[in-house]
Amino acid sequence: MTGDQTTTLKGDAATATQDPANRRDRPSVSPASARKIGERETMSLTDEVAKIQVNNLNLFYDADQALRNINLMIPEKRVTAFIGPSGCGKSTLLRCFNRMNDLVDICRIEGEIVMDGKNIYDRDVDVADLRRSVGMVFQKPNPFPKTIYENVAYGLRLQGVTSRRVLDEVVEKSLRAAALWDEVKDRLQENAFRMSGGQQQRLVIARAIAIEPEVILLDEPASALDPISTLKIEELINELKQDYTIIIVTHNMQQAARVSDYTAFMYMGNMVEYGDTDTLFTNPRKKQTEDYITGRYG
Amino acid sequence: MTDNTPGTPGHAPAVGNADSSSQAEPSSTVNSIRRGNSLLPDLASRKILRKKRARRDRIAHWGITTAGYGVVVALLTIFVYLFYEVAPILRGAAVDEQHQFALPEQQSETFRLLLDRYEILGIQYTRNAESVFFDTETGEEQLRVAVPLPQGAAVSSFGYAETISNTVVYGLDNGSAVLARHAFDVSFPDSQRVVSPKLDFPLGESAIQIDQQGQALTHITTEVLARGGATTAIAAVTQDNRLLLARMTSRENLLTGAVQVTTDVQTLPAIPGNAQQLMLDKSLRNLFVLDDQGRIHFYDIVNPAQARLVESVDVGRGERVTAVEFLVGSVSIVVGTESGNLSQWFLVRENDNANDFTLTLIREFRNHGAAITAIAPEHTRKGFIVVDAAGQLGVHYGSSSRTLFLDEVSDNSLSHIAISQINGRVLWLDSEQQVSSASMWNEHPQLSWAAMWNKVWYEGREDPEYIWQSSSGSDEFESKFSLVPLTIGTLKAALYAMLFATPLAIAGAIYTAYFMTPKQRGLVKPAIESMGALPTVILGFLAGLWLAPFVENNLPAIFSFFLLMPVVLLVFALIWTNLPAGFRSKIPEGWEAAISVPVILTFGFICVQSSPWVEVWLFDGSMRQWFTDIGINYDQRNALIVGIAMGFAVIPTVFSIAEDAVFTVPRHLTQGSLALGATRWQTVMGVVLPTASPGIFSAVMMGFGRSVGETMIVLMATGNSPVVNFNIFEGMRTLSANIAVELPETAVGSSHFRVLFLAALVLLALTFIVNTLAEIIRQRLRERYSNL
Repeated sequence: MTGDQTTTLKGDAATATQDPANRRDRPSVSPASARKIGERETMSLTDEVAKIQVNNLNLFYDADQALRNINLMIPEKRVTAFIGPSGCGKSTLLRCFNRMNDLVDICRIEGEIVMDGKNIYDRDVDVADLRRSVGMVFQKPNPFPKTIYENVAYGLRLQGVTSRRVLDEVVEKSLRAAALWDEVKDRLQENAFRMSGGQQQRLVIARAIAIEPEVILLDEPASALDPISTLKIEELINELKQDYTIIIVTHNMQQAARVSDYTAFMYMGNMVEYGDTDTLFTNPRKKQTEDYITGRYG
Repeated sequence: MTDNTPGTPGHAPAVGNADSSSQAEPSSTVNSIRRGNSLLPDLASRKILRKKRARRDRIAHWGITTAGYGVVVALLTIFVYLFYEVAPILRGAAVDEQHQFALPEQQSETFRLLLDRYEILGIQYTRNAESVFFDTETGEEQLRVAVPLPQGAAVSSFGYAETISNTVVYGLDNGSAVLARHAFDVSFPDSQRVVSPKLDFPLGESAIQIDQQGQALTHITTEVLARGGATTAIAAVTQDNRLLLARMTSRENLLTGAVQVTTDVQTLPAIPGNAQQLMLDKSLRNLFVLDDQGRIHFYDIVNPAQARLVESVDVGRGERVTAVEFLVGSVSIVVGTESGNLSQWFLVRENDNANDFTLTLIREFRNHGAAITAIAPEHTRKGFIVVDAAGQLGVHYGSSSRTLFLDEVSDNSLSHIAISQINGRVLWLDSEQQVSSASMWNEHPQLSWAAMWNKVWYEGREDPEYIWQSSSGSDEFESKFSLVPLTIGTLKAALYAMLFATPLAIAGAIYTAYFMTPKQRGLVKPAIESMGALPTVILGFLAGLWLAPFVENNLPAIFSFFLLMPVVLLVFALIWTNLPAGFRSKIPEGWEAAISVPVILTFGFICVQSSPWVEVWLFDGSMRQWFTDIGINYDQRNALIVGIAMGFAVIPTVFSIAEDAVFTVPRHLTQGSLALGATRWQTVMGVVLPTASPGIFSAVMMGFGRSVGETMIVLMATGNSPVVNFNIFEGMRTLSANIAVELPETAVGSSHFRVLFLAALVLLALTFIVNTLAEIIRQRLRERYSNL
């Protein structure tokens, strides 16, 4: 099924570049394809409400500079994708938003990231609080060695929630939101490791949204999954967009094209181009961007 | 180019992109391989390489298999060897009849049959006052000595002192008594051992008048005071049933060699019954009179002038007593009845502080089913040989309650039994006047499961107890081989060591693995691990000679340090978090803990300095004395010292393994937790510890195993007293230390030797059980928390 889609998308993209006039004639086949490039209304960053504003961000690993003077606005309740070749700094940038880079000793950061009017690198910011409002999902599913129930409830327990009723409710709500409830409702007390990789990844997403963050960071969430699981995750991202600001890092350009509203292309620690996904994929302004999306390097 | 859609990034074709200069080189390499200029070995050499590889594989396979099985075989061999050394404990006694011959003197009634130390001569004391020495293989008479009797007097009774003194007494019908003692001169003419028997008379050849009224002595016994020299006592019953006690002090004239005897005769309270046998104990404090109703009347004769009848005890319990005998040391009395019951009795102190003793039933032995006719105590331990009217011979042992041998050895009723001093040969006499000589193997009667693991009522004790006391200076010593004190001691030492080591090692491991910077960790981990290389003899030496007195003199300091340190650290942490951020940021991240080091040291210093003041203020000047006053025993070398010293030795083991376990918790788990807004502490408790729990658990068990087997520290710092308690202020004796202390001085092959091997086996079994349990639990934990 996903294979079919891929073919369709390929065709679409090719058609889109050659004949923009024809693109609305294509019928929609699935929720994901309903949002294919070219079928969306034109979007513009200038119309969006800013959730996060990155100003002159420089990041160093000892003497090596990994991010160079990044300026970026992340719009609220939209999906923003970071693409670029391996080692370009997109994951590093993503980890700046919940300060996971703090865990790396040799990491040093200059500049500011303003979220809701507050620089998250200010001295008085509680990192744990920040991370509660900026959830993160990693490349490899990382459920804790606990039951499915406890995995989802973990974040709440950290906040000191002990009421069984609240926990039950939130676990169910989160698992439903992550489209996992029907698959696991009868085995909530089983070890999370018994689940498949795709289920584990959705469990991790459920775990992240259980604590009701404002922003969700997805670091190549589908790269370790099979096509069907990938599709499910993508559908889920589409759903979650209603309530959350989502930032996704991906190597898969189709995926970026399918799920994101805005896309940033990064290369060698620089933000090369940033704009709405349609424009970036169909009509990139920079030569580097075009070379990359057309596959000249990677 | 046009077929390169955005959907297939990163898969730029290698061939056909001639315009891309960066890809020109790889494609030329591909082409050169295709042309056949392969750099790989050709077919023939590949075949040789494959063979080489197969050979290496085989060698490795066999090498590893052999080594693996070798380890198992080595372990099994240790087990088998230990079992081999321990196995003889389980064997009973063996009696092997070798010679039978007619009794040399058959006309006169035999009073007593004895065997000499070399097991080559038997001695027969008869009613006509003769001692006949005969060969134990042929029955051939070697010597016959007649005891000189006064004119017109005849033997009316016979008695004997404890066998080892070789002394017998004849009571005469004129109210006097003659004491005789057999002895052996050993000489080695032509390097051949020649044993020549003789009979001598310790109080002179003339009879001593016991009864001034000159009545016949119907029952008599004697005993020689064990300590304090030449005091001999004779107790006798006269025809008119008076009980007399005579004490004789002999003094030899140095010039003439004549023996001067002073005799002091007292009449004791009357016997409430008809006497059947008299028994005097070796300390000349107690006199036991057996009557024909199966009762023993116990007289306290510490002061003969004020001797009193203390009690009458029904030892036959409804039956007639047919034989009664002291065990070696004359503390225990073995009673045999007409139906074959055998029981052991001794005096037990009634109240804690009084000198009130009562004759108490201690234990019973296997019933013979026929009247017991004679009992012979073993010479150096608490065993005895019994013969009965049905021709059975029984070998029993007191402390272990064991019956090692019970079998019919004759068709006739047996009347006398004798055992050699080295417990290697027995003689018995049957109703047909035939003497049988049999060799006996009875090496380990003292050991039994019950004797080693249950409470045993030892002679002179008020209650059954667990006691380890393997040797003493006395020949009549009852060896006490309870393994319970040693096992308890081992567990106690390990418990206190783990109590000290586990929290420190695990907390240290978590901090090092999870909170320290890599640089710090690189310093701290090897430093702690190198602590493990410290020779334990040095730790033990420091603990015993420096730490133990230090702790004793600074008890308040130790307590305040251990109890208040957590509080002090918490207070310090509170102050630290409330310090201005500017000040705190001067300490580099990860080094926060380092600033608590001076706090700990300062607090320790304050504790030690204030210790004397606290003692004066709260404990009347000495906390150690205060403990004694409130009834807590305090030994200088105690479990507290061992806990600290051995804990110190165990910390590196536990720390190292636990640190590895914590450190190898996958990063993506901790990051997942942190990304959910968990603090580092919440992450440790919620994710790191559960995931690392199998590793931490095995770390603790490894530490426990180490402390169970540890020898040198417990040897030097415990005081080695085999007590059975978990009092932190008392010492202990562990299995390992016990083996180290006693193995060098035990006789190879003795019971003591074998019980030490058994202790080793117990130690091995203990560690084996602990490790097996630990492994099972670890596997369960791993199953539960595995994420691979």
